[in-house]
Amino acid sequence: MSGDAGLGAEPADDAAAAAVADEAGADASGGNTAPSDDYGVALRGVDKRYTSGGGEPVVALDDVDFAVRPGEFVAVVGPSGSGKSTLLNVLGLLDDPTAGRRLLDGTDVTNLSVAERTRARKESIGFVFQDFHLLPTLTAVENVAMPTAFDPGDASDRAADLLARFGLGDRLDHEPSELSGGQKQRVAIARALINEPAVLLADEPTGNLDTETGEAILAEFERVKAEGVAVVAVTHDPLVEEYADRVVDLTDGEMTGGLPADGLPADGPPGGETGDDR
Amino acid sequence: MSDGDGRAASGLTDGLSGWLRGWRPAVSMASRNLRRNRVRTVLAVLGVCIGVLAVAALGIFGNVLALGADDAIGDIGTQVVVSPNNDAGVESLSDADVASIRRAVGEPAVVPLYSDSATVARQGDQTFATVYGVEEPALAYEAAEGRLPERHRQGAILGAGIAEDLEAGAGDTVEIAGSQVRVIAVLVESQTFSPVAPDDAVFLPESAFSADGYAQALVVSDSGAEARAAADAIRESVNARQDRVELFELAALVDEINEFFDLLSTFLLGLGAISLVVAGVSILNVMLMSTVERRQEIGVMRAVGVARRDVLRVLLAEAGLIGAAGAAAGTLLTVLLVVGLVLATPAVDAALVLDPTNGYYLLLALVFGVGVGIVSGAYPAWKAASERPVEALRN
Repeated sequence: MSGDAGLGAEPADDAAAAAVADEAGADASGGNTAPSDDYGVALRGVDKRYTSGGGEPVVALDDVDFAVRPGEFVAVVGPSGSGKSTLLNVLGLLDDPTAGRRLLDGTDVTNLSVAERTRARKESIGFVFQDFHLLPTLTAVENVAMPTAFDPGDASDRAADLLARFGLGDRLDHEPSELSGGQKQRVAIARALINEPAVLLADEPTGNLDTETGEAILAEFERVKAEGVAVVAVTHDPLVEEYADRVVDLTDGEMTGGLPADGLPADGPPGGETGDDR
Repeated sequence: MSDGDGRAASGLTDGLSGWLRGWRPAVSMASRNLRRNRVRTVLAVLGVCIGVLAVAALGIFGNVLALGADDAIGDIGTQVVVSPNNDAGVESLSDADVASIRRAVGEPAVVPLYSDSATVARQGDQTFATVYGVEEPALAYEAAEGRLPERHRQGAILGAGIAEDLEAGAGDTVEIAGSQVRVIAVLVESQTFSPVAPDDAVFLPESAFSADGYAQALVVSDSGAEARAAADAIRESVNARQDRVELFELAALVDEINEFFDLLSTFLLGLGAISLVVAGVSILNVMLMSTVERRQEIGVMRAVGVARRDVLRVLLAEAGLIGAAGAAAGTLLTVLLVVGLVLATPAVDAALVLDPTNGYYLLLALVFGVGVGIVSGAYPAWKAASERPVEALRN
């Protein structure tokens, strides 16, 4: 059953992805003043509304413009319920915007099928969660290789290299229950990097860690950033703000400082709301 | 065009090998997930095991019963008893009737019988018995004691039952309707339900009778199919214009008995299937509970880019493994149970139990067990794999 779906779906996905890429390429070579693929991930005028029951729709994101360059570390701050998680879900292709455009690594990914989104997540996005979300039955190295477990080839060596880079070379075959919080978060970061993503999205990455461990994790983010990955962290932690290149505020779905100070994404709205925080 | 075909073909091969490859990590993850809650897994496996045991054991019991019955009644299905049709005014079978029966049936032997009844006595014991007049008893019967003559000219042949009652053997003398007759042979016990029951009968030469015609004729064939063919031939030729004779055909009875045992087997299998369905419901329950508990984990897998079909594979593999483990255990238990029963009850013929058709029931139960696992796991797996990761990850 699933096999049939797989056989049928794969080539279709390729075709669709190619079409999307062509379109984005045409856009870039067209009347754009700044190349849109300058950004690892970008949102243009994105709205996200939830309709709950018969009442007024809840506006989680209100005309949000947001862009992160490769090698940039952006912290998104704001009170609880301000739409930070929604932002991360929309950026991470877990949720679709109600309106607006979404670009990932130079490609328009606003409207993708479920299978296309899953593939784009695997290939271009790394997730780091507050609760680490490692699979308890898998060893550290298996957790890191998990996104590619069903793909051809064995990613174990790559996973082991990544873990060694994060100082966990002697913990490869440990299960999550045998690791400390900081170690678990390092495993989670290694998992996020297994497919060399363009973007790393972190949801309160230091939320469950003590200050010292949190700093160590943020130092890892700096190294990831140095490799040209766009890093976005949603956080309440002032420590994260210290490490970030740019801090963006999100309150009641409205974003301040979403775009880099030195430029606008192509076909974006006029500037004026950039660089407020720095 | 041909390039396109080649690409499509290689794409298909790649897709197939990819499909197979995906099962290895799925089964590996599934088996670890099952080990997380051993008690629950073991209970679900036990459920399938009992279901498979019920299907296999009841199926085999039904089959052994049918085989045993077939074995016991198989021989008598080879006789056809031809009697005159009294309703049509035919009182007895004439020589012409016997000749036309012989012509109709061809190969099988036709043994006409006179019939009467008389008191049979020996040394104070006496009993009332059917007395048959027969010329060629060796065509229809076998002797347990003495020897059956090719042409029966003198002396009496006793059925097994009457010989026992009178404590008479070959060489003894019995009194039949007042005359002293020497016993030349005693027949093998037959246990047949034929209207011509030889156990409680005495067979005398035809010359002892002064009747006008034969009371019955036996048609003795080698197989049930030959007997049925002979009966059909008699109906078509001897009864062509008028129903002169009535046929008592045990082959038809054997068919009916076989039909009954088929029904019994189906009934027993159905009974077993109910317990397998119950086992399926328990797998459904286990898989639903386990996918609800692991909702976030499944959400994480989907979030980091594991495709929906691969999540589906892991969950189906879990249900399939429960089904397979239960089916294997149930099959093994059935074999042990059957072997134990054979050893414990000498009445059961080991040859019947070792009959290859019983293997079919074992295989059937095994396939059913795995099938029930996968079918019951399908809904929870589909449900969990289809949930949007953003919902699953929400605390």
